[in-house]
Amino acid sequence: MSWGALYFYYKCPKCGKLFKYATDLFTEFGDAFGNCPDCDTPGTYLKEGARTPDDLLYEEVE
Amino acid sequence: MDKNLKNKTIITAAVTGAWPKKENNPNVPMTPAEIADDVYACWKAGAAVAHLHMRDDEGNGTMSADKFRETVNLIKTKYPDCDIILNLTTSGDIHADDESRMAHIKELKPEMASYDCGSMNWLNSGLFLNSPKFLEECGMLFQETNTKPEIEAFDPGMIGNAAYYLKKGVLKAPLHFQLCMGCANGIAGTMKNLVFMKETMDSLCPGSTWSCFGVGHSAMEMMYGAVAMGGHIRVGMEDNVMYAKGVLADSNAQFVERARRVIEEFGREVATPDEARQILGLK
Repeated sequence: MSWGALYFYYKCPKCGKLFKYATDLFTEFGDAFGNCPDCDTPGTYLKEGARTPDDLLYEEVE
Repeated sequence: MDKNLKNKTIITAAVTGAWPKKENNPNVPMTPAEIADDVYACWKAGAAVAHLHMRDDEGNGTMSADKFRETVNLIKTKYPDCDIILNLTTSGDIHADDESRMAHIKELKPEMASYDCGSMNWLNSGLFLNSPKFLEECGMLFQETNTKPEIEAFDPGMIGNAAYYLKKGVLKAPLHFQLCMGCANGIAGTMKNLVFMKETMDSLCPGSTWSCFGVGHSAMEMMYGAVAMGGHIRVGMEDNVMYAKGVLADSNAQFVERARRVIEEFGREVATPDEARQILGLK
């Protein structure tokens, strides 16, 4: 039984962008995990989940 | 192994799993009829194995023997030409008790069934329990029903646990592993980790066959990696509801069709169900 990737969902407090990071990328991104992919501002954590129903609203950062 | 089988790659289709719902992707099959239709479409596209989960009437994962029976019967009666290997889950609901996780195996005696070789936290919100008692009973049951265990390993420790049960006689060689890459709280889906998992398997359980899948962003990397390393592959909406970044999958068969293209472009061939039976040592 698998359950997909677990994501942290964020909103950028500067530009308003919605984005998400898979939690298995902690090591790859390090301190930049959770930063906005457009303006590099640390995102505001909103929620976590495995592809929540509004998942497509959030850009996946990888 | 027959030398003609060494260039064959088995595609397993995991069509529904326990977690995605229509709200995640409207094309996820939920009912026995939808699951049976998807299995047939995947077989036509090249899948040799179908890994089956069931859903209750609300769409939640269930270990209902009635649902398994209905689905298996539908596949056999509606599609009598379909010789796909049925691989039934024993882990379709994290709240199910041990008895209900094995009841459908006792009744239906499938050719294959999953065997999750350890416990872990489920999405940081629940427990995915596979106790020593359950694993021992399940392993012995599989021997009685002549069911080949597909050992799902979410981290290297689970491979070590499989070696333990192999030594104890609960599992019989040669083993077949499903390396589950990128699931939350399991090993991350990277090539370095896939190589490590395979090397761990080769050293602890030599002679084993293996397959793998990656969830989320690691899906393609794990598929290409498995093909390049001589493994087999699993695809389907249990593991990924997205076909590509930002694109929902149209169907499970779409994943199988892509897997076939990858295998053939690499210069390998897709195994038929009967070839898969020989590779996996099914009787």
